This record gives sequence, structure tokens and C-alpha cells, in this order.
Amino acid sequence: MDRDRRMETLLPLRPVEFQILLSLAGGERHGYGIIQDAKGRGETAPDIGTLYRALARMVDQGLIAAVDADDERRNYYRITDVGLRVAKAEARRLDALTRAARLGGLLKKEAK
Amino acid sequence: MSASERWYRFLLRLYPPDFRDEMGGALVDAYLERSRQASKNRVRLAILWCAALRDSLFNGIGERLRPAVAWRRTGDWGRDMERVSRRLLQRPLFLVSVLGTLTVGLGAFAVVYTAVDNILIEPLPYRNPGDLYKVWTDIPNIDVHGGPLSGPQVAEIQKAGGVIEDAAGFQCGTGAIPASDQRDAYHINMMASSANLFDILGARAALGRTFRPEEGGQGRPTALVLSDAMWKRLGANPEIIGAPLRIGPDTYIVAGVMPPDFAFSCGAAPVPDVYVPFWADLAQQVPTNYNLQTLIRVRKGASEDAVRHGVDAAARRLIENAPAKTRGLSLYPVGVQADLVKEVRPALLAMSFAVVFLLLVLTVNLASLLLARAAEREREFAVSRALGASGPRVVRAIWFEGGLLGLMGGLAGALAGHWGIRLLVALGPADLPRRENIALDYSVAVVEVAAGVLLGLAAAALPALWTARVSLASLMSASAVRGSASSGRMRRALIVVQVALSLVLLAAGGLVVRSFERLVAADPGFRPDGVLTLRLSTVVFTNDAEAASFLDRTEAALRALPGVINVSATTSLPLSATANSVDIVKFPDAPGNTGVEDEDEPLVDGITVRPGYVETMGMRLLAGRSFDPARPALVREAIIDRHLAQRFFPNSSPVGATVLWKRQPHTIVGVAEQARLYDLHKDGRFQFFVRAEPGRSRGYWFFVLRTSRDPQALISEARDVIRQIERRVPVSQMLTMSEIVAEARSRERISAVLIAGLALGALLLVSMGLFGMISGSVTRRRGELAVRMALGATHGRVIRLVVGEGARLLIYGALMGVPGVYVAGEALRGFLVGAPPDDAATLGGVAIGMAVVTLLACYLAARRVTAIDPGRLLREGG
Repeated sequence: MDRDRRMETLLPLRPVEFQILLSLAGGERHGYGIIQDAKGRGETAPDIGTLYRALARMVDQGLIAAVDADDERRNYYRITDVGLRVAKAEARRLDALTRAARLGGLLKKEAK
Repeated sequence: MSASERWYRFLLRLYPPDFRDEMGGALVDAYLERSRQASKNRVRLAILWCAALRDSLFNGIGERLRPAVAWRRTGDWGRDMERVSRRLLQRPLFLVSVLGTLTVGLGAFAVVYTAVDNILIEPLPYRNPGDLYKVWTDIPNIDVHGGPLSGPQVAEIQKAGGVIEDAAGFQCGTGAIPASDQRDAYHINMMASSANLFDILGARAALGRTFRPEEGGQGRPTALVLSDAMWKRLGANPEIIGAPLRIGPDTYIVAGVMPPDFAFSCGAAPVPDVYVPFWADLAQQVPTNYNLQTLIRVRKGASEDAVRHGVDAAARRLIENAPAKTRGLSLYPVGVQADLVKEVRPALLAMSFAVVFLLLVLTVNLASLLLARAAEREREFAVSRALGASGPRVVRAIWFEGGLLGLMGGLAGALAGHWGIRLLVALGPADLPRRENIALDYSVAVVEVAAGVLLGLAAAALPALWTARVSLASLMSASAVRGSASSGRMRRALIVVQVALSLVLLAAGGLVVRSFERLVAADPGFRPDGVLTLRLSTVVFTNDAEAASFLDRTEAALRALPGVINVSATTSLPLSATANSVDIVKFPDAPGNTGVEDEDEPLVDGITVRPGYVETMGMRLLAGRSFDPARPALVREAIIDRHLAQRFFPNSSPVGATVLWKRQPHTIVGVAEQARLYDLHKDGRFQFFVRAEPGRSRGYWFFVLRTSRDPQALISEARDVIRQIERRVPVSQMLTMSEIVAEARSRERISAVLIAGLALGALLLVSMGLFGMISGSVTRRRGELAVRMALGATHGRVIRLVVGEGARLLIYGALMGVPGVYVAGEALRGFLVGAPPDDAATLGGVAIGMAVVTLLACYLAARRVTAIDPGRLLREGG
């Protein structure tokens, strides 16, 4: 309960935060890797400064964690349990919004 | 390193340091990776550089502004803040004492700053007040300095042209609003002026209009402009425009009402309730009747020199056409603001200097406190230096502490100043210029806080620099002798500076207080205690006989009141500067005549009095007699003052001689000491008392009552008695003579209180500083002192040893302060009453007083040695 409420205060996530969680959900990445991931998904890549600020903040919030890597020059990150739950909650929130938009006629109905 | 990498590393500086440490490397790598893909294309590279700049500007500053981060995790500032406040809270006594002294010192600063700012600096509420001047005259022949002008003189200036655009004459007086069914008659303050006065000031009426140019002059319809306060007193009726208003025997038509913030008066005179135009042409008035103040507006931005030349030119024309009497006449302009504040300016400047000194003492004191604290923590500093903290980082922490204390002190001082200013206004004289405006405003509070922070930073500079030098190695080597000597030397130097500064302030305070004492002790020429005064006007009576009868009946009725010993009346009350008749006298047959007209016809203050005045006021009669109750037929009687008697009758008695006043012969019946009209402590112009004659009973009279009771208690009885005789006569200014004397002293009193307060504050600070230093020294030297005691030194001897350390500093400080005392004394010279600035008794007393207080502080601190147990201390190897 308490945890849920704390999670809710983090929602909605900023686009860059969601992008980070999305990338890390697929495995450990370093900063630049996240940008390349976003590009690979066809999204607009975040600015580098914005990305690293978000990384620092999310480490503080416990959504992601730094990983000790062999490559000393690069900081690798992994998603935490909390981060995963938050990302799923955000995805559910976005899904609900999309469904609502469809019902409201803002989006085309998806052919099944 | 490639150019790109240098550029990205440079951009990193936009981010806060901790973020840089954590993320900087990765950030630069990411940028580099991106630019590597574009390295062949210079245009793309440039675009990337620009994008990186935009990105870093946005995110770097954004990251710096994230308060939570800056506070909690990052910044040295947040860390410092947290640490410093925790440390301060751990030592509440230190915190309270520092904040207390800062509050007092900065509070005093706020009070004086506000007074100076409001009175001396803030512009007057007129259009381009810098272009407004008053014109005064010096006529050395008849001993007039800075006197008013006569009507024809003002008319000449109005014609002057050149740099002088326009001129107006004005004078202040009193009027009486007659009684109506609802209320008794009352007095009001009036100003009569040239019709162009309001145009010169650039003032507009809030309701109706001000004077038209054709208003004023002989036989013109008489318009009148009300002040806002008077309008409200009359019922605040907007329909009043065009209505008639009776003042005394005359009827005016109300032309307009001024806005609430408009106030223009004759220098220190009360702000007028109504403004009326002159009834007579200025050029037609008696040329020797110097009774007008003059206001001129000069061409916009004209220099003071140009104005002086313009006024000089007008003065030269006056001399050409003037009677011989005004030979040597000169006119000079004074800016309106300078003119308004000329009386209080020296006092305010003296106070400003006193406050600056107090702030200096405060800074030095705070510096020595911070230094002491830094010395206590030198081990901590040394360890943190050894562990890698940079010098600047340690310095910054101390500076931060000083600034924080200054900030809190500034806030507290602003609050203290808010109350202090109310006290100042309450203590201040009623004619303190613009006293209604004196209040602490937002801008002063800002200045105050800034001053506090600056003071804190300045005070922390020395300890901060000292701390930066501390290293573990120096500490290790110094610990053998317990504590480092360098901080002690610095503290002692600070004490010496404090002693010197305080001595200067104390000397100035002592001189000002002594000067005030002399003023209190000054004999004004009459005995003020037990005397009640009241003012009434008899202008409502249409003929003189009625007025005379009213005066006689009033005198008899007042005399019949219980406890009243004597009653009389005068036209000019002492210390009220109300000599309304300044004229020349001639002693036709006096031995002291020189044959030079200017010297043989001196200007005197003519004072008309009713019989019994000398006795009622308690004046001192030196020869002859006073005026008898019974009037001798066919003889006009006069009493002259000592100065006139000495000048014209150096070796004989003037009693019985004849004197010409207003071209009429008077017989001198007595010689008296002056009852001072202007200054408490020195005689003014010659005084010439004439007995009230029938035929001059209409006008304004001050009744004086000597009573065996508290004169204050008589006020309502006296008012009732007069009301029973005649309801139409307004009574005002019911003051005891003691109140008038106290009011005359209030300017000096306020300076004396403030400067003495500042000086005592400095003494307190320096004593606290010495106490702290000596007790610190006892702690530091306890090993050595224990050895001395173990070897047989008594407590007394050891205390003497420690106190001697303080005494030496006192002597150095005093020697350093001597030139400052001399300079301060010279600066105060014009401000002191009767006391030379090198008054040895005062200065000696101040020095001894300071020595006693500070040595006492040393002694109290030194008594801590008695707590030393030599045996135990030595056993434990302390």
C-alpha cells in the first residue's frame, strides 16, 4: 500500500525516464546505449545532458542502479525491481489513456 | 585531447561539481561518440557543438537550480550550511551573544541610517526640488546673519530675471477660527505668500485650485487654500470650494484644498493649516521691515554658482537704491533641502560617524570571536586539511559562518531598528524636519541585511585566512606549548584595535553628554518651574477698549485661581522665537554713544509685557525696578537688558534715562538679564522690554502664571475661567514653561542619548572581547600557571599576571586611540555647547571609566585561575 502510493508520486514519468526504463528492461546498458536503443525503436533520442541528469536522479530514486562493469570508462545501469514496477505501472497508465482516446474517437480503432 | 573533447569538458563546468564528478566522464564520452560519427563533416560537427552548448546550458543550470539536490546531496554550500547551523546550535550562548551584539549594533545603524536618509537625502515632494532655493540676507551693520528679507527686496528679486525664473515671499503666522454654536474658537497656523508660491513649488490643489496671479495685492478679493488636515477638521466637505471662511476679523473665500502629502512651512514653524495671498504689494512695503522668507525657482539644472551670481546681481541693485542702513548687505541662496536640515545636519553627521565607529568595533569584535572559535577548532581544521580538504574549502566554511551570523544579525537589527525609530521620533524635537516621514521602509531593511552580511564577511576574513594556514604539522609542533601562538597574537591585535576605536567613540560620547549637561545647567534667564503659559488672541474684539478690558478681567480671574502666585502676559514667550517686533532703539544722551549711526542704533527684540512679568517669569533684575501694577500717567516705561546697559551706560546707571523706540521716548526703569528667546545657552539679540500700553491690546498674548501647584493641573481650570469671560477668544498652546525648556533641549538630548548609547555599546563590546580573550588565555596557559602556583605563587600573584596581560593591551589601544580622539573632538567642535573638544576632565574621566570597566572584565576572567588545582593538573600531565 505504502509502496504503491510512493510509486504513484513518481507517475507520470517523463518521456526520457520511460525511455531509460524501457531500454534497461531489455538488459544492462550504458548511457549512450540507451540513446541508440531509443533511435532503434524509432523514437526521438533525448539530449545527452537530459539523459544523464535523469540517470543521476533515477539512481537516487532507486529506479535504476549503477553496475560495476569491466569497462571503467563507461557507467552501466540496470533496472531495479521498483524501476520495473514503475515502468509497468506507467505502461498500464499509457495503455489506459490510449484506450480512452480510442473510445473517444481521437485515435483510429485498431483492427483486430 | 581533441578540440571536441576540450569543448565538451569545458561545457561540463556548467554543471554543479558533484554532478560533474559523478557523470562528467560518461557525459563527455557520449558526446564524443556522437561527434565521432560526424567527424568528417565540419558543418555537422559545428551543429553538434552548438547542440551540446544548448543542452549543457539548459541541463547544467537546471541541475544547479534543483534545490533538493543542492541542499542535501551536493553542493559544498548546502553541506556548509548544514554543518554551520548545527555547530551554532550546539553553542547557544555564543549564538545568543553574537546575535545580541549584532542586533544592537545594526539596530542603531538602521535608526541612524533611516534618519539620515529620510531627513538629509530623500528629495522633497516638490517639482524639481533641486532647482528651489531660499534666499537669506546678511546685514553686518545691524548684526543680521541669515535673516529674512523685506518686501521691496523680494520684489527686486522677482524682477531679477536671468537664472532666477521666479520668486515668492512668504511669512508664517497665526489666525483664529471664531467660535460657532458647536465649538469654541481655536487657533490655526497660517502662511501668507505671493500668489505664485504654489506655481514655484509645482504643487496642485487636490480640490479646486491654488492662487491666481491676480489674487493678492492691495484690496484684491481674498482667496484661501486649505491644507488637507484643515479641510478634514472643517468636516471634509467637497462643497467647501467657494464658501466663505472667517479667520479673525477677515473673511476669505476657499479656493482650493491641497493634497495630504503637501506641506510647506517657514523652516521649523508648524505646517500651515491655511495659505492666503499677500494683501499688499511687496514693493510698497517698508524697506527696513525684514519679515519675509524668500523662495526662488531657478532655471532647470542651473549650478549653485550661477544661482549665487544671479542673487548677487539682485543684491547689487538693491544696494544702489537702498538707504544707507543696508550698506554691506548681501544676499545668498541656500537649497531648500539644505535650508530645511541645516539645524539637525551636524547632529546627524556626528551620529553617522558614531555609528560607523560602532560598526567597526562590532566587526572587530565579531572577528575576534570567530577567531577564538576557529582557534578552538584548529585541530579539526588541521585534520581535515590533512585528509585532503582544500584550503579554500576550509576558508569558505568560516566565511559562511560569518555571513550567516551577519545575515541573521541584519534581520534582527532591522526589527530592532523599526522600534528604535519610533523611540527616536518620540524623543526627538517637535520641529525635527519631516518627522512625519521618518519610518523604516523596505529599502532600509534591505540595506540593513546587506550591511549585516558584509559585516559578517569582513569579520570572518581574518579568522578564515588564519585557518587556511593551519596544517597538521604546524599543529603538532604547536601542541607542545598548548595552542598556537599566532591566533593569540592576532586576537590581541584585534583587542588593541577595539580599545582604540571604543576610546574614540567614548570620548565623543563623553563630550556630547557633558555638552548636554551644560545645556541642562544653563540658566535661561528665568525660572521655568511652576510656570504655566497659554496663548490667546484678542483680535475678535472690534475696538481696543474691549480688548483691554478683556485682558484685565482675564488677568484678575486667573490670579483668583487657587495656588496662583502671580499672573502676567507678554507678546514674546522665551525659547519660542516669537519676537514679533525687531526694531532699532536710540539712547539720545547715553555716554556709550560713538557717533557712528550703525552702532548707536542697535537692533533689538522688542518685547511688550504687562506688569508683573519680571516676577512671574522669575527673571533677574540687575538694577532699578520692574513695571508697577499702577501705570504712571504720561510716561512710557521700558526695561533694558544687561548688554544694552553695558554698551550705552558703561560706567553709570541707565535707570531714569530716556530711550527712543518706534520713535517714541521711553523712560528706563530697570535693567534685567535676558530671558532667552532663541538658545538656552547663549544670549541672543539685545532685549528691550516695554510696558503694555493701552491702544495695543488687540493681538496675540501669552499669559504666564506662576503657581505653587503643579502647573499642569491648572490647565483645565484656566481654560474654563477664560471661557466664562469670553467664549469667542481662542486659547491654545497651554504648556508649562518646563515643557518649553525641555523641547528646546530635545535635539541635544536625542543626540546625547544616542551617542552615549553607542559609546556604551562599544564599551560593552570591548569588555566582552577582553573577557573572552583573558579567559581563553587562562585556559591555554593553565599548565604554566599551575607550575607557578605549585612553586609557591599565590592566587593574587597569578591573577595580577593575567590581568597585566589585558592591561598592556589597554595601554597600547589607548595610545593608538589618542589621535582619533583628537580628530573626533575637532569634528564635534561646532556641535558642543560651551565645552572645548579637548576638555581634559571629560576625556580623563572617560579614559579612567573605560580602564575600570575593562580591567574589571579582565579580573573577572582571571579569577578562573583559582579553579586550577595545580597538583591534579600536573599529575595528569595537562
